[in-house]
Amino acid sequence: MTTDHESDSAPPLDGNAVGGLLRELFVLDITAATLTCGGCGITALVGDVRVFGGPMGAIFRCVHCDTAVMRVVHTPTGLWFDMRGARNLHVTPHA
Amino acid sequence: MAIRGESNATPATDVGASSSSRMPWRVAEVTTVIEETPRVRTLVLRVPDWPGHMAGQHVDVRLTGEDGYQAQRSYSIASAPEASRVMLTIERLEDGEVSPYLAAEVRAGDRFELRGPIGRYFVWTAAVGGPLFLIAGGSGIVPLMAMLRHRAAIKSTVPAYFLYSSRTVEDIIYRGELDRLAALRDGLTIYHTFTRQQPEGWTGGARRIDRAMLADACPPRERPRIFICGPTSLVETAAALLLDLGHERGLIKTERFGPTGTMT
Repeated sequence: MTTDHESDSAPPLDGNAVGGLLRELFVLDITAATLTCGGCGITALVGDVRVFGGPMGAIFRCVHCDTAVMRVVHTPTGLWFDMRGARNLHVTPHA
Repeated sequence: MAIRGESNATPATDVGASSSSRMPWRVAEVTTVIEETPRVRTLVLRVPDWPGHMAGQHVDVRLTGEDGYQAQRSYSIASAPEASRVMLTIERLEDGEVSPYLAAEVRAGDRFELRGPIGRYFVWTAAVGGPLFLIAGGSGIVPLMAMLRHRAAIKSTVPAYFLYSSRTVEDIIYRGELDRLAALRDGLTIYHTFTRQQPEGWTGGARRIDRAMLADACPPRERPRIFICGPTSLVETAAALLLDLGHERGLIKTERFGPTGTMT
């Protein structure tokens, strides 16, 4: 995993932009799911969370307190996923 | 850049068969290329087994060089869900890795890999309702055009307000179609603003999107569903101004271009 602020010089994307990367992990498209920040407890839609990175790896940061709520990265040995910074992920059935 | 054509190719970066079965890479074939503006083209694609999409969703495009080097970018889908073909509209970025190929070199018959549709967040369906307040800069129009096309296709009459910032008249993407949609008088109002050069006699917007334009286009009391797409600065400025004007945070959805403008 890269250091948290390595890619912060580039402007962030919306979580929605890396929906394809998330689909490599999740059966459902979770961009409309609700994520609760483990740092401050605020909730946000995954698609609305600030994301730094791109198709090979991304850090999701809480808009409110900057906690890294999710990290996904491709490495030569496989895909890493780290959700330590999130309290929970609430996935509702699609309309 | 040569494009790998095998649909069953398993790239080294995938985590396993399960991931590709969830949302497989498909080989799309370009059937038609439409020149929209000097810097923007629409690619009409044949995508085998396309599962269908919703207005506002995007795809990931992957190009593979002869040496195996891969470059991947996201592009919004321009076509309505009702269209028979998937369309991507791509702006040529001078320092881009993927867009110069897609926006300048690619020809009918060429193929490249694509996966999608992606994203449930930046999506408009009839169930989402209206009014719709759409705000775009440049090629940020693409996912919003899918929404306007969908709205027209289902004959929705929910009020829709579209504020569109272009450099000049020549840079308006889908110009003729926007004129035709507005002429339907089905509740769609389009506001253009030109940031670099205005046509002679122009009395409309002649500057970047600002507070007055946003306030005039659609007041907060209408509680519009707001979709903003464009360069990061435009998106963040517009979103902050809309909040300040009294629009609800939960009704504002944003789609920023990446640092290299990859997310059209």
